[in-house]
Amino acid sequence: MSRAAAQLASFLRAALRGITASPLTSGIAIATIGVTLVLLGAFALLVANMERMLDDVGDALHVTAFLEEGLAPEAQRELASKAATVEGVASVRIVSKDEALARFRGGVGRGAALLEGLSENPLPASLEIGLADGYRSASGLARVSGSLDGLPGISDLTSGQDWVEGYLRAIALVRGIGWGLAVILALATLLIVANTIRLAVLSRRDELEILALVGASRAYVGTPFLLEGLIQGAAGGVLALLLLYAVFRLVLPGFEFGLELVLGGVAPRFFTASEAALLLAAGSGLGLFGAAAALASESRP
Amino acid sequence: MKLGPSRFLGRRRPREYAGGGRKAAVQLYHVSKSYTAGHYALRDVSLEFGRGEFVFLTGPSGAGKTSLLKLIFAAERPSEGQIVVLGRNAPRLGPAATPPLRRRIGVVFQDFKLLPRRTVEENVALALEVVGAPRRDNRAKVFAILKQLGLQHRRFHHPLSLSGGEQQRVAIARALVNEPEILLADEPTGNLDPELTVEIMDLIAQTSTRGTTVIVATHDYGIVNRYAKRCVRLEGGRVVEDAPAHGATP
Repeated sequence: MSRAAAQLASFLRAALRGITASPLTSGIAIATIGVTLVLLGAFALLVANMERMLDDVGDALHVTAFLEEGLAPEAQRELASKAATVEGVASVRIVSKDEALARFRGGVGRGAALLEGLSENPLPASLEIGLADGYRSASGLARVSGSLDGLPGISDLTSGQDWVEGYLRAIALVRGIGWGLAVILALATLLIVANTIRLAVLSRRDELEILALVGASRAYVGTPFLLEGLIQGAAGGVLALLLLYAVFRLVLPGFEFGLELVLGGVAPRFFTASEAALLLAAGSGLGLFGAAAALASESRP
Repeated sequence: MKLGPSRFLGRRRPREYAGGGRKAAVQLYHVSKSYTAGHYALRDVSLEFGRGEFVFLTGPSGAGKTSLLKLIFAAERPSEGQIVVLGRNAPRLGPAATPPLRRRIGVVFQDFKLLPRRTVEENVALALEVVGAPRRDNRAKVFAILKQLGLQHRRFHHPLSLSGGEQQRVAIARALVNEPEILLADEPTGNLDPELTVEIMDLIAQTSTRGTTVIVATHDYGIVNRYAKRCVRLEGGRVVEDAPAHGATP
């Protein structure tokens, strides 16, 4: 074993000795980091899944341009050709009055009987306008709608723009709440980890005094405590991942209606390996930073 | 003899010591130490200890012996004055430079300061571990010093299972395992009976014959008289006498 590896192994042994020497305080620190990361992870999962749902919806986004009553088929085709030249438009399809009625009948099912009494078809002809890549978003919808608005022969335009904007606001709100909670909880966690390490420093004051006597450097004295914080943080991260996975697998399927409401039928997914690693890194960072803060305050004269 | 580095020129030089003529290991130049305003643990102390010299610091409790050792060991900073230890301006050393100086100094205390949960071997090896020495080399060095102090058969015992004399020998082994240039001992026999006192002091005295500067703080004049070495007597934080042991007054 190289000298550096032997030194690291020695530091790790010291860190683990420190954790096992006061299991209760270490356990509290790990649990606190775990709870913080569970909340942070839950919000991150919700936001990630909502964004994924928006991606799925984006593929189906289109603009419907309703045509003026009585517009001749030739004029409709001319208008469709014009619309196809608008920037952001990928496809244009003419939906005749008859096709619109047929779709309506298919959509309402048994309620179609109500249409039997109508003397004429009340539905207008329309253009179904598909969006090019890069325009399947709220801003894309707005730009395409703006360009189409005012074209002669178009009486009205509808798109999912309002819905998309509302959903984006919801995602931003969830993300904001998540970040706010994360910052508050991270600060609280840092305090708890720092106090845990400070207690460890105080309980080993005699040992540290002797280490100073024999000429131990600050790095030699401090590294085991930093590793202790790092290990506690990583353990908190593992705990959070296990808890989140358990909730995802065992509890979430029981809330099908709520999921349908929020995710619109998109199957929720768990963290990818890199996202899970990021959560572990966040835990380790919390532990390390807490330990560093404790050491800094303890070494202050 | 010339005393002190060039920055001392133009100011009053430290008092010459009885065994002068050797290169200095420790120089104190008008050193004062005050822990509370107006109360001095040390006052205007100027001393020089040569390399390989054996010196007793004597005086009643509160005379400033321990404060002086702490200043030499860079555990404290003087309120006034300069201290040069092994050529380094000790009070001005930063956090990174202090440990390397301490590794050149062995320290022995009255209460041994051993780690109760570590074995004798581990306690002694601590002084080697902190400098990152390979563990295999450490074991050989630790065994050698323990054998020299007659403790090799106790190396796997824990300190609390040893007698007071054995514990102090472990502390001495830890202080010497790095072959320090200075050995500081603060009342090293304070907790020991007379027979063990002689045994421990003989061990400490031997180290000075190998070129280590030995500074022993004690208020036991029986020891001072037995070893006929230089003796610096402190009272109220001031040096009141600096002479060979037979010159000290009990």
